[in-house]
Amino acid sequence: MKRFGLAIAAVVVIGSLAPNAAHADPIAEVSKLKGDLTISAASSLTDVFTELAKQFRKDNKGAKVRLNFGSTSTLVAQIQSGAPSDVLASADLTSIEKLVATGNVVVAPKVFARNTMAIAVKPGNPRAVRSVGDLASLRFVALCGKTVPCGVYASSVLRRAGVSLIESKVTRGIDAKSTLSAVANGDADAAIVYKTDVLAAKKIVLGIDIPSAQNVQAMYGIAPIRNSKNLTNAKAFIDFVLSEQGWQILKSFGFQRP
Amino acid sequence: MSARGRQIGAETPKFVWVGAMLALLFLSLPLVGLLKRVAWTGVFASVTSGPASEALRLSLITSVFATAIAFILGLPLAWVLARIEFRGRSIVRALVMLPMVLPPVVGGVALLGAYGKSHGLIGGLLYDVFGIQLTFSPLGVVVAEAFVALPFLVMAVESGLRSIDPRYEESAATMGSGPSERFWKVTLRLLSPSLIAGVAVAWARALGEFGATITFAGNIEGRTQTTPLAVYLLLESDPEAAYALSFVLLAVCVAVLIAMRGSWLGRRS
Repeated sequence: MKRFGLAIAAVVVIGSLAPNAAHADPIAEVSKLKGDLTISAASSLTDVFTELAKQFRKDNKGAKVRLNFGSTSTLVAQIQSGAPSDVLASADLTSIEKLVATGNVVVAPKVFARNTMAIAVKPGNPRAVRSVGDLASLRFVALCGKTVPCGVYASSVLRRAGVSLIESKVTRGIDAKSTLSAVANGDADAAIVYKTDVLAAKKIVLGIDIPSAQNVQAMYGIAPIRNSKNLTNAKAFIDFVLSEQGWQILKSFGFQRP
Repeated sequence: MSARGRQIGAETPKFVWVGAMLALLFLSLPLVGLLKRVAWTGVFASVTSGPASEALRLSLITSVFATAIAFILGLPLAWVLARIEFRGRSIVRALVMLPMVLPPVVGGVALLGAYGKSHGLIGGLLYDVFGIQLTFSPLGVVVAEAFVALPFLVMAVESGLRSIDPRYEESAATMGSGPSERFWKVTLRLLSPSLIAGVAVAWARALGEFGATITFAGNIEGRTQTTPLAVYLLLESDPEAAYALSFVLLAVCVAVLIAMRGSWLGRRS
């Protein structure tokens, strides 16, 4: 946060002073928040990162922020195959560890938020779902893909609740958003997705809490990508997400403190 | 053929050649990239095991049914569009072509709007009266695939019908054959190249369907998870199997193109 503040101050100073200061002053190098910044973020962060980026743009007029959403697994695969990305915000920590193992991330990731899982059903709860156990009697349940974080978390929830679903009743969305959409717009009776997604869609689905004994704690990690062409911006954005201002935005979307 | 090629080439400006070469490179490079990633020794094992083989089996069955529906419904529609003058024909044709240009996901959303059990126009009726639920069922996959494949068949057959010299049918009529007999013995025979092309391209399109399928029929292993869906999901958990499946789809499409030679590719004179 401190460095971020300093960065803004330096931008102001440079803006008003001589242009050649940029060559001499090392702080000036750090402060120039210009150019592109591509943030790859888990699909469950779509709404909150759109808001965070909006705020970041407002504070840093020179920086061009682009957002790339997808399932964390997809984002990891994209980054490993060399897609240009400056920051990864993932829905778990193991995915970032994969990037550490392949050398795409060299800085220790920071945990910036926590999330839990919840059940989403159609408005009015026509199938009278009250608990994870009730899911077994439904016709179709939407879960995320087995290998993406929200699918892994959903499996944990089912295991902890001692519920096993027949695979022929499980439709798998390609990410958290599309999984929820199978309930909101399609014919799935229920979904297990992030609580924040259920909150964001409260106009079209009804959320049912999962007791903490059965629930999991999803930890969201953020880290700069090694080959980023704009490491300064990447770090500034990460600092912003970790700042008090960033936290207030995260909180307003239902995320919990790590 | 080669002599004619040279003759035309002499009049062709250099930049056209360069552009054509670049276009060819642009199209072929990704295919080379795909082939390079395929682990050849494991293709058979990847494709014949677990979810991959189930997806292939499901794809094969659903795409054949979808093509059959496209054929049964598409042939009469193509006939009407090609042979009958009526007001608003161009509007009807535009409507038929719409699924060709529509993003498939939008097609899936539209199908939900019509046949979804909870929100669809007639989906609830289908379920209450006939007990049919298309969403999350293999039948739903067939519907999604037929929806996107039908226009391709109609377009191919319509252009084929237009290119038939009407004198053949007229002379058959003067020789005393009725409309049905003329259709089966004359028109259908003359139409067969475009019919084969239409069926082939509709089948390839049905086989490759992704967006409408996952949106409308869902993604249930062994039930609605077709090969393209499996490729997408396996890319993250088992890339080798994903590349093997991709190769199978590529090989099938090449076979389709070979089957279509003479109708759309080049001319058999």
